[in-house]
Amino acid sequence: MTTEPVEEQFTNQIGDHDDIWSIVDNALLGIGVNRETGFMDVIVSIETDEIVQASRALRDDEDANFDYLRSLTAVDNMGDGMEVVYHLYSTTKKHNVTVKVFLSNESLRLPTVTDVWPAANWLEREVAEMFGIKFSGHPDPRNLLMPEEIDDTFPLRKDHPLAEIEVLQGEGMGYSGEEL
Amino acid sequence: MVEVLSQTSDQSAEFETQDLLLNVGPQHPSTHGVFRMVMTVDGEVVRDVIPYIGYLHRGAEKLCETMDFRQGIGFMDRTEYLAAFNAELSYVMAVEALADLEVPERAQWIRMILCELNRLSSHFMFLGAFGVDTGVFGTPFIYAWREREALIDLFEEVSGDRMMYAYFRPGGIAWDVPVNFVDRVREVLISATQGIDDFDSLLSENEIFLARTQGIGSISAERAIALGMSGPSLRASGVDMDIRRDEPYLKYDQVEWDVITGEHGDVFDRYYCRVMEMRESIKIINQCLEHLAPGPILPEKMPRMLRTPPGEVYLRTEAPRGEYGVYMVSRGGNRPYRCKVRSSCLSNLQALHELTVGEYMADAIVILGSIDIVLSEVDR
Repeated sequence: MTTEPVEEQFTNQIGDHDDIWSIVDNALLGIGVNRETGFMDVIVSIETDEIVQASRALRDDEDANFDYLRSLTAVDNMGDGMEVVYHLYSTTKKHNVTVKVFLSNESLRLPTVTDVWPAANWLEREVAEMFGIKFSGHPDPRNLLMPEEIDDTFPLRKDHPLAEIEVLQGEGMGYSGEEL
Repeated sequence: MVEVLSQTSDQSAEFETQDLLLNVGPQHPSTHGVFRMVMTVDGEVVRDVIPYIGYLHRGAEKLCETMDFRQGIGFMDRTEYLAAFNAELSYVMAVEALADLEVPERAQWIRMILCELNRLSSHFMFLGAFGVDTGVFGTPFIYAWREREALIDLFEEVSGDRMMYAYFRPGGIAWDVPVNFVDRVREVLISATQGIDDFDSLLSENEIFLARTQGIGSISAERAIALGMSGPSLRASGVDMDIRRDEPYLKYDQVEWDVITGEHGDVFDRYYCRVMEMRESIKIINQCLEHLAPGPILPEKMPRMLRTPPGEVYLRTEAPRGEYGVYMVSRGGNRPYRCKVRSSCLSNLQALHELTVGEYMADAIVILGSIDIVLSEVDR
C-alpha cells in the first residue's frame, strides 16, 4: 500500500509555489507585502491602509484575476492584536491566495472590501459583531447573527467567557493553553 | 365597457398607494428552518427583501476552540445536518493537513462513497422540499422521502446514527464498514437510480412546474461569482467550478465524471443541475466500489492524544450545497486555536436579495427553495 503524506498531496494540488508567487508579486507591484507559505496556499500580509488598493489589484490584474472571495474571517491574537484573513480564488485561473491584515488592539479598524467583492458584505458584518473590528465604509453595518441590541460584547474574542460557568467558577476553562 | 375600464384606471391613479411590509418567518414551513425575511411588496411584486438570520446560532466555532480535535467532529455534524459526512470531511482533513497524517487508501474510498451517498440523500431532500415549494405536494415529496429513507438506513448501519454520524476521524474512519456494505450500497444505488428517473419524469417535464420555475430568479455568472455563490447554485449560472475536479481531494482524480453546468441561472437550472449531479454521484460511487479493497482504516501509528504543530490551513471541499471550508489555526497543542467554518449556505443566501427583487411574491418562496439553504449551516 502506498499513501503519500497529506502535505505532499496538497503541494501537488496547487502546483508550484513559484508560479503563484510571481503572479501575486506582479499584481501587487508597489504594495508592501510580507510573504509566507502555508500548508496549502501562499499567504501575503498587507498593511491596513493598502487593503482596498491591493484587493482591486488582485482582482483586476489579468494574470491574477482573483474574482472569488472564498472566506473572510479574523483571528484574535490576544495581546498581539488581531488579524483579518481573506481567502481568494480565481474561477478562471484556478489558483488561491490568502491575504492577511494585522491590526493592533488600539485601532481595530480597516476599510471594507465590499466594493471589490460584494460577497464580503455579510462576512464582514459577522467579523464586526464577533470580534469588534470596524469596517469603515461598510454599506450595511448591522449585526448579522446576534440580536441588534447587543453591540458591546464580542463572543469570538479570546477573553470572552465560554459559558456562565466560567463566570461563576473563575476563568481557566478555555484558553489557558493547557491541555485537557 | 372600454370607457368604464379606463375610468377605473384613471381613478386608481389618483389613489395613494403605499408599499406593504410583509414578514415571512421565522417559523414557517416555506423558509426551511428558522429564517425570517421582511419583504416590501408593491401589489404582488417584491421591491425589497431584508433577510434576518442568526436564530440557530450556537457558536460552533467558539465551542470547537475549547474542545480537542476529535470532539470538534460532533459540532461539524450539527452545522450541516443534511450532509454531515461532507461537513465532517472538511474538518478532519484540516486536522490531517495540520498534523501531517496519512490516510489509508481504504478509508479514503469509504469516505468518498459516504460523501457521495450523502450528496444523494441531501439532494433527495431538496427535491422533495422544492416540489412542495412549487405547489406539488404529494407524490414527488413521498417519492423523494422514500429514497432518502433507504440512504439514511444505510448510514445508520454504517455509523450507528441517522443524521449526526461522527464517523470520520482524523487519519481515517472510526470503525470499518459492515461486511455486506458493498452489496448494500449497490442495492441502494439501484433504488436511487430508479428514484431519480421517477422524479425526473414526474417533475422535470411537468408543464405547470416549468411555468413556475423557468426564467425566474435568474442571476448572471459574473454576479454569482461576485456574491460568492458556490455549488449547484453557482454552476446553474454556467460557471464551471467544482472543487472535486479543480482541486481534487480524496480520490476524485481517479474517477471519471462530469461537472454539470446550467445556462440561464434561473430556478429551473438550479433544480436540474442537482438532478443531473445525482446521476454523476451514482457514477462516482460505482467506480469507488470497484476500487474498494481490504486494508487498514487508520494509520498504524496513531497517537492517543492528537497534537498538531503550529500552522494554519483553509481546507475546502465540495459539499452538496457548495463550498464547505474549514479555516483552522493551530498554535500547537490538542485543540484548534481558531476554527472558522465557511458556510456555502451563508454565501448563497446573500444572493437572495438580488434574486428576489422584481419578482412576484409567490416566486420568492420558490427562489428561496431553489438555493437550498440549511439554516443551521448558515448560523453555525
